[in-house]
Order: sequence, then C-alpha cells, then structure tokens
Amino acid sequence: MNNNNSPVLISDKITPKEFLFSKLAISFYAIILLFVLGEVILPGFISFSHVMSVFRLSVFLGIVALGQTLVVLSGNEGIDLSVGSILSIGVVLSAFFLNGQNINIPKALLFTPTVGLAFGLISGLAISYIDIPPIIMTLAMASVVEGTSLIITKGFPTGNAPPLLETIGNGKIFNIPYLILLWILLIIIASFILKKTKWGNLLYGVGSNSLTAELSGVRVKRFRVFVYGICGAIAALAGLFLLSYTGTPYLNLGVTYTMPSIASLAIGGISLAGGNGNYIGAVTGCIILTTLNSILVALRTTEAVRQITLGLLLLILVIAYTGRRKRW
Amino acid sequence: MKNRLNWKSIYQNPSFPSFLILIAIIFLNAFLQHNFFTYRAFKSNLLTFTPLILTSIAQGLVILVGCVDLSLGATISLITVLMASLMGDSLLSMVIVVFIGSGLALLMSFINGFIISYFGPPPLLTTYATSVLWFGIALFFMPTPGGYIPSHFSKMYRSDLFPGFPVVLLFLIGAFCFLFFMSKTRFFKHIYAVGGNEEAAYANGVNVFLTKIKVFLLSGIFIALAAICVVAQTATGDARSGLSFSLNSVAASIIGGLSFSGGRGSIIGPIMGGLILGLLINVLYFANITSFYQEFMKGIIIIFSLAVGAIPKFLKARSL
Repeated sequence: MNNNNSPVLISDKITPKEFLFSKLAISFYAIILLFVLGEVILPGFISFSHVMSVFRLSVFLGIVALGQTLVVLSGNEGIDLSVGSILSIGVVLSAFFLNGQNINIPKALLFTPTVGLAFGLISGLAISYIDIPPIIMTLAMASVVEGTSLIITKGFPTGNAPPLLETIGNGKIFNIPYLILLWILLIIIASFILKKTKWGNLLYGVGSNSLTAELSGVRVKRFRVFVYGICGAIAALAGLFLLSYTGTPYLNLGVTYTMPSIASLAIGGISLAGGNGNYIGAVTGCIILTTLNSILVALRTTEAVRQITLGLLLLILVIAYTGRRKRW
Repeated sequence: MKNRLNWKSIYQNPSFPSFLILIAIIFLNAFLQHNFFTYRAFKSNLLTFTPLILTSIAQGLVILVGCVDLSLGATISLITVLMASLMGDSLLSMVIVVFIGSGLALLMSFINGFIISYFGPPPLLTTYATSVLWFGIALFFMPTPGGYIPSHFSKMYRSDLFPGFPVVLLFLIGAFCFLFFMSKTRFFKHIYAVGGNEEAAYANGVNVFLTKIKVFLLSGIFIALAAICVVAQTATGDARSGLSFSLNSVAASIIGGLSFSGGRGSIIGPIMGGLILGLLINVLYFANITSFYQEFMKGIIIIFSLAVGAIPKFLKARSL
C-alpha cells in the first residue's frame, strides 16, 4: 500500500485477533447469547422457523436504520428523529396508492418514497442552510409528518395491501421469508455503496471532517441535504414493506421505530459523532433489539416489565459501547 | 459603560429573536382570546404554562452544560405516580410526600448526571435509556392512571395567596430569584466553561465531573417543582402525564436561543421559549383549529420559530 491511502482504508486491515474482539464480533456474540438465553427460557426459541420470524421482524427496523446510518455517518450531530413518523405516513400513503390492486404497485413504489424524500429534503435544507440542530428540526418535522397523516386520512386510513405485496410480506421460499432475502440484498447493496463507490467515500469524508471535505471541493451543505432526503425516502419505503406485513394500514405504526433505530446504531458500533462505522453494525444492533423484545414478549411480561428490562439493557449497552472514560 | 445602550449587543443577543416572537405571540393571543388581559385568563394561563416553563429551565441548564435530558418527562410521570399513591389527607402527609417526590427527582437527575459524567456516553442516548427505565417503573406501579390526590392539595395550588397574587406565581418568582442568585455565582460561570469546551475548562482547573453532576441536580430541583405543579393540576398519577415535556422543553430551550452544543445563550431564553410554546398552543386552541390540524400546526410553528431564532447568527455572520 502506498502512502496516499486515507486512514480509513488503512484501518480496514485488521488481524484475526483484533477481529475477534471488534465491536462487530461482540455484537454477534450478543445475538448468539440472546438466542441461547431465549432457548433456555423458552424451548423452541432457537428453532429455524422462530429464528426466521425474529429476523423478519427486524427487517423493518433494519431498513429504517439504514437511513439513520447514512444521516449519522454524515456527521455534524446528524440524527433523524422523524424516521418513525415518515415510516407511519409511508404505511398510510402506500395503502392509499395501492388500494388492494397489484397494478398499483409501481405507482406506490414511486410516490411513497418521493413523499418521504420531500420531508427529508425539507429537514435537510433547514439543518444545512439555517443551522437548526438536527435533533430538534427532525423532531419538529416528526410533528408535521404525523399531523399530515392525520389530515390526509382524517383519522381513518383507507386502502390495503394487494395480494402480490402480501405474498412478499408473509411468503417464504425454502422456509426463508422473502423479506429477509430482500434485506440481505439491501445489506449487500448498502455495504457496496458505502465501501466501494465515490459517494460512500464522500459520506465518510464529510462525516469525519467536513472542513477538509469542503476544502477538497465537496459541497458539504448540499450533500447533507441529500443525505436527509435519502433517509426520508428509505423510511417511507420501509412503510411500504411494513404494510406488506400488516396488510391493512394503521395510524402511527412507525412511532416505536424512531429511538430503536438510533439505539441499534449505537449498539452496532456506529459513532454518533459521524464518519465511523458501517451498516452491518446497525444490522446486528437491530437483530439484538428485536430478539430482546421477542424474548420479553414470549415471557408474557407486562408492558412495564418489558420497558424496565429494555431500559436497563439499553443503559448498560450505551455505557459499554459508547462510554469513553475521560480524564476527569 | 454599563449605562450606555449597545444596540448591536441587543439585537445580536441569542435571546433577542425569541423576545420579538414572544411579543408578537402575546399580541396574537390578546387578539384571539378576548379576555386575555383579565386576571382570570392571566391566572389560568399561568397555571397551564408553569410546568412547561419550569421544565424548560431544567432542560436549559442541562443544555448549557452541553448535555440534554430526554428523561425529564418520564421523571415527572414517575413522581406523579409516586405522589398519587402515597399522599394522604393530612397536611403532614402532603408535606412529607412532596419532599419524597422532590428527593426522587434529585436522585434520578443525579443518576443521569453521574452516568454521563463518569462513563462519558452520549447524553442523548443515556437519557433516552433512563427515560425508558423510569417510564417502565412508573407503569409498573400504576398501569392505568389513578391514585389519590386530596382535593385541597389541588385547591391550594389553584388558590390566591392574597387577592391578585396566585400561588403559582410564587413558584415562578421563587424559581427566578433562585436562578438570579445562581447566575451570580462562580459555579454558573463553570457551567458555560464546561459547556463551551470541556477540555479547556478542565485544563483551567474546573472540576468538569462535579460541575455536570451539580447541573443535573440543579435541574432536578426544577423538575421536582414542575412535577408538583402537574400533580396538583391533574390530581392523578399517570405514567404518561409527563412524556410530552421532554421534547417540548428541548424545543423551548432552542427557541430561546440556546446552542445545542452547549455553552452559549442565556437562561432567560428557555423561560421565554417555554412561554412562547405555551402561548402558541393557546393560539391553536383559541383559533378553533380542528384537532386534525393541531399536531401539524405545532410542528410548523416550532420550525418557524427556530428559523426566526437563527436570525442573529446571520446578522453576526454579515457584520463580520
């Protein structure tokens, strides 16, 4: 290797020993541990079909987390708290566009992400050009998006998923749900884009040092606007897939996805300061959170006990994974 | 020097736009709520806004030191649950329960502050995790809203200390005086130092660890006050009663001109921000906007206020 390579590329070469103790590997151990724990508590937890159903539930969080990953990677305190609301409106809109007809699928595939894109672009514009902190801008945006879905549905969403989409959402091939195959495809594409394309390199560059990127001729502000737009589009698309699973739309289906999408990033070793981490990490984070939740549901715990366990575990994970002991 | 009016420093003050918005919104309220300037309306508005203003102060302090507290709402919920399950009819039990509730608020703020300053995880995620935890505990003790708050406790809160002076005003004036005296202390300067640049503050001999914990404890006092207001007003314990405060208080602080990265802005900002948000929600109520549009309008208004709040930055950038 010559000296021209960026530090990011050099650090890609790690020894097997380093790999065994990397954050990614630890996340894998955590997943295995959780499944073993599930099996101990509930025999049959580790059976192939159940593992698949847990993975299938992680898909929606996983898709949302991809958008969140891009935003967080782009740095500058980047975070998108409107993903849950955009996911919700994605469900409602795609049901409206589809109206139970297979022939409407291209229309929904085109328009649903476009609406998400629009919401994301508005957030991005305000964040980049008016310097509103991302966390508060996207939060206000969440209000706007939720309000919009209330206004367009008047409280009662109409339409439903067509047969073809329901097959995608609930069907299996060789006992593997289609959704998981789709997710694997998405993981491969996303990893390729992040690692191998110019755009991916730009994203890491902007995230780790926006001044350097700016001086090298990247239009950082415009770039960030598009990252937020893409995040919105992905979240809306996740809504389409969530509809394929539920069949009929409900209001605010996505609100519970917002904070887990950020927590999964933290668990997966993506630095919330930006510029560091990859999508695989977020994927493991999503699976960890979903597995944990399904263990708690399977135990027939009350909502309260589930929240307490989740809160405690999140706290421990956050401290263990993102804690940096300072000098004081 | 002190007496000379410095216009530039006024209009470039981070809190200046929020002051303008506040005046505009007061006019709008006066226009829509025809009895806005009567004592009755003043008092009922005050009763509604006080918890929001107090939580905004609490959040503002935490933001000034460079952190954020998303668990503030869940803390309030948990205290309402605790107070509604313990309170009896006698004056003594009321006093004791109020003290226990305040102690709990301080304890929970201390836990947040300790974890953040000792282990160093991002405050956003940490307080999100603790908010899930507090919410779970509140739900565990009270799955559905309930409990008992003696009616004279609520009446006391709604009553006038003497004609023309409601009890709530005492809460606010107490809070303002306390803040005013705090702002003269060395500790308050340390808050800005740590919020602006931790490393530099440390290098200059500021105890960063203790400063952060103290700020969280200080915010705990205001959270406790807000929780007492909420419990007196709703007269029930409810695990969900406080949840909206977390985000509203963050919005109020940012509208009030605080910088999210900490160390910049005045503590007056969140107070004005809280007032603005409260009055805005009032406007939505009095303008007869159907409930379908309220959530939407709230978001739009917050975005608009934030955009106006960014004006001093532009003015500063242009004058450089």
